[in-house]
Amino acid sequence: MADASWSKHMADVLRRNGLRLFATVPDYIVSQVLEHLWADPTCTVVTATREEEALGILSGAWLGGERGALLMQNSGLGNSVNTLGSLNVAAQLPVVLVVSHRGDLAEFNPAQVPVGQAAERILDSLGIRHLMPRSIADLEAQADGLVTLGYTQSLPVAFLLPAELTGGKLG
Amino acid sequence: MDRATATRLLVARLTDEVVVSNLGQATRDLQRLGDRPLNCYTFGSMGQCSSIGLGIALARPDVRVVCLDGDGSLLMNLGSLCTIATLNPRNFALVIWDNEVHMTTGGQPTATAFRSSFAGLARGAGIEKVLEPRDEADLVRAYERILSEDGPFVVPVKIEKNQAEGRLERDVVGYARRFRQALAAVPAAR
Repeated sequence: MADASWSKHMADVLRRNGLRLFATVPDYIVSQVLEHLWADPTCTVVTATREEEALGILSGAWLGGERGALLMQNSGLGNSVNTLGSLNVAAQLPVVLVVSHRGDLAEFNPAQVPVGQAAERILDSLGIRHLMPRSIADLEAQADGLVTLGYTQSLPVAFLLPAELTGGKLG
Repeated sequence: MDRATATRLLVARLTDEVVVSNLGQATRDLQRLGDRPLNCYTFGSMGQCSSIGLGIALARPDVRVVCLDGDGSLLMNLGSLCTIATLNPRNFALVIWDNEVHMTTGGQPTATAFRSSFAGLARGAGIEKVLEPRDEADLVRAYERILSEDGPFVVPVKIEKNQAEGRLERDVVGYARRFRQALAAVPAAR
């Protein structure tokens, strides 16, 4: 059984690493992280119409001196591919991706499976370092290191959040 | 109106504003006619010019941001008009060079060659300040407003179908780094 406090741990990782601007195309799972960020007056959350648009906004914000994260479902990672490559990787504009991983263990929706199964290889293909923490302890052990690496490289990094961590989405 | 003239008229009025230019024609004209560190050129990710500008405007509410987008590109990201209207940044203006074609790929017509209008789309999205300059004098008045009044503004400009002159410089990482440093050097919150 997933521990419901995972979402606060995820939000705290982002905040303690200096991220203050969050863009999202809502998703049931990442919205649990967003609840903590909406409630924090030092944070700004922007709802975009598509994930590419969100990456454009976060890239502009980085150029303006702000660190940010995109919170989305892995179908959004599928939408994001060209923008991640041609904007964030090509111009070296870092961003943290927080992706709820659908389409794996216990998935009930066939439409989620192909991109969910491809998610890690999509990130690998673009040279984007990623983690899939299976527990809060696992998240806490590695998360700061991943965010640090992203800003050291000046490139995107990704958290894929599996159902073992989040409890998934019940059909 | 031609894009080079319209670009020159803007460049002549700039001080410490940010200008974000769309990939292809807009970036090539801006590099040739008014290269400066506070220009944020884009080279790929077609459609993202207005979103990048919006992000800069959010991160730096004390700096005015002018985007020079293209019709084909903005048509790939029409949701951006809705996000701009929702966030309502007063330091943001979106100028759209509308030549009714995909110029860089050989002049294939876009939707604005037929029934669609950016002014109508912007108003429908909820943008209140939509300016539609018809000639150079109108355009100069529009620039004076977007560089002095609170926005957000959307300014569709019908332009001639011509290729930008000169060669595009593509130091993608170098231009991004130069821009970020130049914007960081603009003193915050006056």
